Order: sequence, then structure tokens, then C-alpha cells
Amino acid sequence: MKQYVLQRLASGLIVLFGISIFSFALIHMIPGDPIRIMLGENASAEQVHALREQLGLNDPLPTQYLNYMTGVLQGDLGTSFKTGRPVLTEILERFPATVKLAASGMALAICIGITMGVLAAKFKDTFIDFTAMSIATLGVSIPNFWLGILLILLFTVKLGWFPIAGGTGLRDLVLPAVTLGVLASTVISRLTRAGMVEVLSQDYIRTARAKGLHERAVLFVHAFRNAMIPVVTIIGLQIASLLGGTVIIERVFDWPGLGSLAINAIASRDFPLVQGIILFIGVIFVLVNLLVDILYSLIDPRIEIGQAKEGGA
Amino acid sequence: MSQASPAVVSSAHGQTPERERGVLYKLWQKPKSRYSMLILLAVIAVGIVGPWLAPHDPTKPYYESLLAEPSAEHWLGTDAIGRDVFSRLLHGARVTLMVAVMAVSITFFTGTLIGITSAYVGGIVDQVLMRIMDILLAIPNIVMAMAIVAILGPSLTNAMIAVGIAGIPKYARLTRASTLAVKSSGYVEASRAVGTSNARILLLQILPNIMSTLLVYTTLQIGIAILDTAALSFIGLGAQPPTPEWGTMLSEGKEYIRDAWWLATFPGIAISVVVFSVNILGDALRDILDPRTN
Repeated sequence: MKQYVLQRLASGLIVLFGISIFSFALIHMIPGDPIRIMLGENASAEQVHALREQLGLNDPLPTQYLNYMTGVLQGDLGTSFKTGRPVLTEILERFPATVKLAASGMALAICIGITMGVLAAKFKDTFIDFTAMSIATLGVSIPNFWLGILLILLFTVKLGWFPIAGGTGLRDLVLPAVTLGVLASTVISRLTRAGMVEVLSQDYIRTARAKGLHERAVLFVHAFRNAMIPVVTIIGLQIASLLGGTVIIERVFDWPGLGSLAINAIASRDFPLVQGIILFIGVIFVLVNLLVDILYSLIDPRIEIGQAKEGGA
Repeated sequence: MSQASPAVVSSAHGQTPERERGVLYKLWQKPKSRYSMLILLAVIAVGIVGPWLAPHDPTKPYYESLLAEPSAEHWLGTDAIGRDVFSRLLHGARVTLMVAVMAVSITFFTGTLIGITSAYVGGIVDQVLMRIMDILLAIPNIVMAMAIVAILGPSLTNAMIAVGIAGIPKYARLTRASTLAVKSSGYVEASRAVGTSNARILLLQILPNIMSTLLVYTTLQIGIAILDTAALSFIGLGAQPPTPEWGTMLSEGKEYIRDAWWLATFPGIAISVVVFSVNILGDALRDILDPRTN
């Protein structure tokens, strides 16, 4: 157990190191001169020279990386090229809004996904099963930003129940959270169904039924807890796709989170900010995954080293 | 063993044994996959001849009918500068198909190469390649694609490349897992023992045996590629106006959501129908080719 946790920590560190290289290398992978691209065609030679100095692009690569990492470890992700403010400040300002949206979306996804999955498994091969699984397939096929647009069209434009966009209050949160939740719920419901179907065919379920246990007790006490083990892992992995999903959904609802910050940064070619956001999202994701892996090994003591990753793919 | 006997009996009666029948035949037998194949064939046909079917020029503005509702003249209405939405949708089919094919090709060839190399060579090569894949997997797909667009600059071609690259890590992991399973099977060990060259083993034994798994995931990957490229275009990092791309059209539609419901509706339906059909087909393929993973 202890060895497993240590191993996960070590591989997490390697991944973190890799992400730092990736985000560092970003500006060096740009074809052409990144400084020229940032400053535009009309920049003077002095301006170009000054920005190159400021970003430290004249130093040899290893020195640059070392300087970059020294800064990062001290919480200095550089300075936004457009606003002149520290990148970390920009990110931390937007992060709470993204967390709020992603957490609400996740909560909804878990409720919808597990309910649909259990129902589909309980009524396997009936109309309910067919409907729930069709919805799940439809959910992964519809572009989630389009689902958001449709919700705006129906609930905001036609019915006027929700404000159009731009705020971060509870009423502003409902539609984007539903949009995100529906997307993430599809995977959860499929996996819950698969887990429940398998567990329900086990001998101990037959025993539980044979000894006259109430069906509800069979379903929720005996079957559900055992079927939930893979679901917990996928919920952890879903957090990554939720972080990705929020990027697009934020644009649909003008939600002032990390996603809209990233889109603007890319559109305005603010490379230091782009680097910072990539690094930040990568670190968050690695930490979440680490947490999930460790929690997972606590829930299911059977887990062996190296198995967690394979199960999630 | 007992399962094999009916097939033997039926072939003795001059019929093709069930498991030797083509995959296409099996897909055709199921209504779900039959309809999705028909829809996809129709979309491909539109992708090829769409520009000749289109009643109007997709980039020509009709200033006398801005944001016109669907009518006999403009079946799906017009957009903010009076372009015919139906014609734009037809042209968009070609863009979407091309993007999907190119992006998935990038994913397929690079991912397969990395996965097979990793599994077959093993050792330190395997370790290094898979750690790199882990690192890339740690960044959500769409964010990864955005990062690549940030490097290359926003355009449809670059979005396509970005989506293709972003799909590689998962694909490489999958190929590696399938290759490992085949590699440890008796027949590969046997041919190695009799001195078959690595190239022959890879091309004639490993590749054909992992192909069915790869085919399933390649199909599903097409859906993901279409969705991700549309998303990139939607946030302005993919196709640029006036290219009639479905994601870009949705982005324009969102701007006029209060005045013109049709702008934000029809391109979304188009994307959903195509991706839904692809996903149904992928699921059906999985049932046929790779029943264990379902």
C-alpha cells in the first residue's frame, strides 16, 4: 500500500516535470520569431530586442529552463504580454469561476449518470435501458457547445427563465452546469450500467435475493457498492475532460473562467499567459489523478501497482 | 469447441460459415448499423457532389435578405450578411469530412507506430515513449489541441493537425496494449523460434491481429475529431470566415441567437447526425470485432 502510493507519487513527479518542459518549450516550437508574432509587423528593432531580453530568450536553452523553473517554483509564471500583470494573478483570478462551473457540472453528472446507469441495469433490455443508453450515445455525439446554444435558445430566448450571459450568479450557473453535466454523465451512466449488470449476475446477489432480501436492499446495499469501484476511477478521470469541456462552454455562456482566458490568450498571441495556463491545467490534472489513484487503492484493497491506469483507459 | 460445430454443419450445406462472412455483411444485418452506414454514405455523397447541389454560392451575400427565415428561396434561411445557410451546410460537409480524414490519419499512423514500437521493442524505449504519452495525456484533449494551435497559429489546417496530434497518446497506449497481447501469444513465439524476421512478424502477424481493435477505435476517433475541430472553429481557433465550416457557422449563429434560431440550429444538427452515426457504427464494429471489451 505504502509502496503503491510512493510509486504513484514518483510517476506523478515525472509527469509534472514533463509538463513543465512542454509548457517551457511551447514558445520555442513556434515557427518563425515568436517576438515578431507577438509585437506585430510594425515593431521597431529596439522593441523586439527589449522584449527578447525581458523574456530571456537570448540565454542558452538550459539556462532559460532553469530560470523558468526557479520562477515557477516561487510562484512566478512570468508576465502577461497584453496586460503586463503577473500570469499567476491572471490565472488565480479566473480559476474560482472555472472550479465553480466544473464542480457543479460534475455533481450533476454524477447524479444523472448513476441514476440512469442503475435504472438501465435494473431494467436491462427493456425500453428504459434502450432509452438511457441512446441518450448516453446521443450525449457524446452532440457537440456540447451546441447543447449549450440550444439551452440558451429554449430557456433564455424563448422562455426567458435565465439571464442571457455574462454573470456568475446562481441563475447564471444553471445552464452551463447542465450542459457540462450532460456530457460527463454519459460515460458515468454507461460504466454504472456495465458494472451493475455484471455484479447483478453474481452468486452473492442471488443469495441475497434467495434469502428474501428486499429488492431495494439488494440493489443498493449489495450491488451498488461493488459496481461503484470502476465508476469512482472514471469520475476522477472525467475531471480532466470537464476541465477541457469548460474551456468551450465558458465561451458559449461568456463565463469568465480559465477557458475564456486561454482562448483570449491564444487569439492575442500572449505566449507567456498561454504557457502559464497549460502548466497550471496540467498540474491540477496530475494532482487530481494522484488523489483519485490513492483514494481508489483505499476503496479497493485488491488493487495492485500499475493497474489503476490500465483500467481507466 | 461445441460452438464451432453449427458453423461446420452449415458450411457443409454450402453456406458461408457465420464467422467467415465479411464485417460489412454483419453490419448490414443490424438495422442500427445499417442506417448509420446509409447516413454516412449520404454524407460522403454530399461531401463529393454538395457544391453542385447547393442552390446558391455559399459565400455570396444577399443584401436584400439578411437574417431571412427559412423560406422557399432559402430553405434554411440566411445569415447576418445574407448568405444561404443550406448552401453553406452542403459545402461544409466536404470541409468536415476532409478534416476528419486528415486528423484521424495523423492520429492513426503516428499512434500505431509509437504503440507498436513501444510494445515490440520494449525496455527503455517502451518506458520513455509511454512516459511521454502519460505527460501528453495529462493535458485535456481540447486544451492540448488549443496549445498546438497557439504554436502553429489559428487556421483550419492547423486545427486539423492539432486535433490529430492530440489524439495520439490514447491511441498509442491502446495499440501498445493490443500489441503486447498478440506478442505474448503462442504463434508469435513460435515464429520467432523458427527465425522469422522482426519485420515479417510485425507486418504479417502483429498488425493483422491488432487491426480489428484499431479499426473500432479509429471509427470512434473520427467522431471525436469532428467534434474537436468544430469546437476549435467555434472558439475562433479553427476555420476562419468565410469558410463554410459547421463549427464556425455555429459560432456566427450564437452571435445572432436572439434574432435567428436557424443559424444556431442546423449546423449543430448536421454535426450531431454525422457523429451519432459514426459512434453507432463504431459500437457495432466493436460488438463484431472486439466483443471482449464491451
